[in-house]
Amino acid sequence: MVAPARAPLRTDRLRTVNEPRLVTVELNAGGVPAAVENQLRRSGGQEEKAAVIETVLEMWRIDDEWWRQLISRRYFAVILDGGSRVVLFEDLVTHEWFMQTA
Amino acid sequence: MPNRLSSSLAACVWIPLFPLRCEEARHEGLASYPTALLAPDTARKLWQVSSLARHAGVKPGMTVSQAIGLCPTLRLIEPDPVHYDEQFAALLSALGEVSPVIEPGELGLAYVGTDGLEGVFGSVAKIIDAIMCSVPHAARLGWGVGKFTAWVAASRAKPSEAIVVPAGTEQKFLASQPIAVLPLDPDTHRRLRQLGIRTLGALAALPEAAVTAQFGAAGTQLWRLAAGRIAEAVEGRVAPEPIVAALTFFTPVGERELLVHSIDQLIARALKHPRRIGWRVHALRLRADLESGAQMQDVAGRGAACCASTPQTNRSWLVNVLLKDPTADAARIAAPLKTRLEQSPPTGGVERLVLEFTAFAPGTTELQLFARDAQAAARAGQQRALRHAAREVRMRVKQANLFHVIEVQPWSRLPERRYALIDFEP
Repeated sequence: MVAPARAPLRTDRLRTVNEPRLVTVELNAGGVPAAVENQLRRSGGQEEKAAVIETVLEMWRIDDEWWRQLISRRYFAVILDGGSRVVLFEDLVTHEWFMQTA
Repeated sequence: MPNRLSSSLAACVWIPLFPLRCEEARHEGLASYPTALLAPDTARKLWQVSSLARHAGVKPGMTVSQAIGLCPTLRLIEPDPVHYDEQFAALLSALGEVSPVIEPGELGLAYVGTDGLEGVFGSVAKIIDAIMCSVPHAARLGWGVGKFTAWVAASRAKPSEAIVVPAGTEQKFLASQPIAVLPLDPDTHRRLRQLGIRTLGALAALPEAAVTAQFGAAGTQLWRLAAGRIAEAVEGRVAPEPIVAALTFFTPVGERELLVHSIDQLIARALKHPRRIGWRVHALRLRADLESGAQMQDVAGRGAACCASTPQTNRSWLVNVLLKDPTADAARIAAPLKTRLEQSPPTGGVERLVLEFTAFAPGTTELQLFARDAQAAARAGQQRALRHAAREVRMRVKQANLFHVIEVQPWSRLPERRYALIDFEP
């Protein structure tokens, strides 16, 4: 982590980090994610990569910014079968699932 | 604070008689005369001897009068350890341009970690070329898996030559090498020779248990090295920025008491440095620039008139201390410096005294509360290397995707809002 420079920030030069990626999630009987399919963009088109969820570490919910555009999300911090730790969330407005790094 | 990098593939760069080579580089034409460098701790004995002087029978450890008796045209040089240290630091820095994993050995010996460098340079031959180009003197270079194989290869190479030991052929290469390449004490060396063991192959052919029974744990280590069973990785270190305190005297100082007082003052100043807070001092260096000129004539005058042509040299005095128990106590830091000052004082008046704290160990738990500043400052060296690397990448690749990670809303409950990337401009 590098400390920001003293010069004023130019917001047009900012790039996002850890942007949520759209995924397809398979739920178990309890409504908890059991597997995730990640759509990877490759040069020859799109490719799907599926991973089984080994453990759900934590879950929480965020309801925020109701005064402008409601953000309502259900988060799951999980460990995939390869050992990688990621965060999944369901957008409770659109009912789409997204993945981010933990 | 220490941040280690390692590499199993090693290149060993070796410049024998490095201090003498530094003097030859500094004084044009010196290499064509029989030359000897005086020992830094005692000016009455020889430290390093050039090959021309060796041919005349002069050997390291001889007294000046013995040496002059054997070789009347011998040129004596006063040691300048600070200069050698600086030259060696410059060599390590130049090697650091080739690889981030550099492990210094004694003066003139360094290991370069080469894991993954094929991706940058293309082939082993090109890596070796890059290393050779970065070395100012005629170095010998050995390349192989592990430091010992690389060192043995370097010790067998001729000046400006490289010997490569391909992976998997270490045992075959080592088998024919003399046992003198092993880190042996004179007694073990003599005993091995009395047993008729002259090569690493002969040692490795013995059962490991038998060697252990004869020579103990050290024997096990020697057997494993000889058999190519040990491949020690090159351990690079990110050196922290040293904390420096210096004192320049208006007139050269020779009195012991004044020097002791000056050392105490320098230690107190260096300990107060904000970067030191929260860290104990582990290694330090005290160097002195000495008054030049007169002393050389004194030493030379004892031997022969020929030494009137001895080149004018810069002289210095250097003490490197590695504290067994890191400390922030001024008295404990000063003790080894004062002992050295007592045992082998500078051989002339001191014009400038510089104290450097060069390595640190974490302080106590309480002090760690204030360690953030020290950590940030210790990273300064890394930052400089990063800026240099970024400039290099920009020169080679027009659109380099190099970014700073900056905090935007670190408190946000939405992970994607906490950080952002911004162009990295060194």
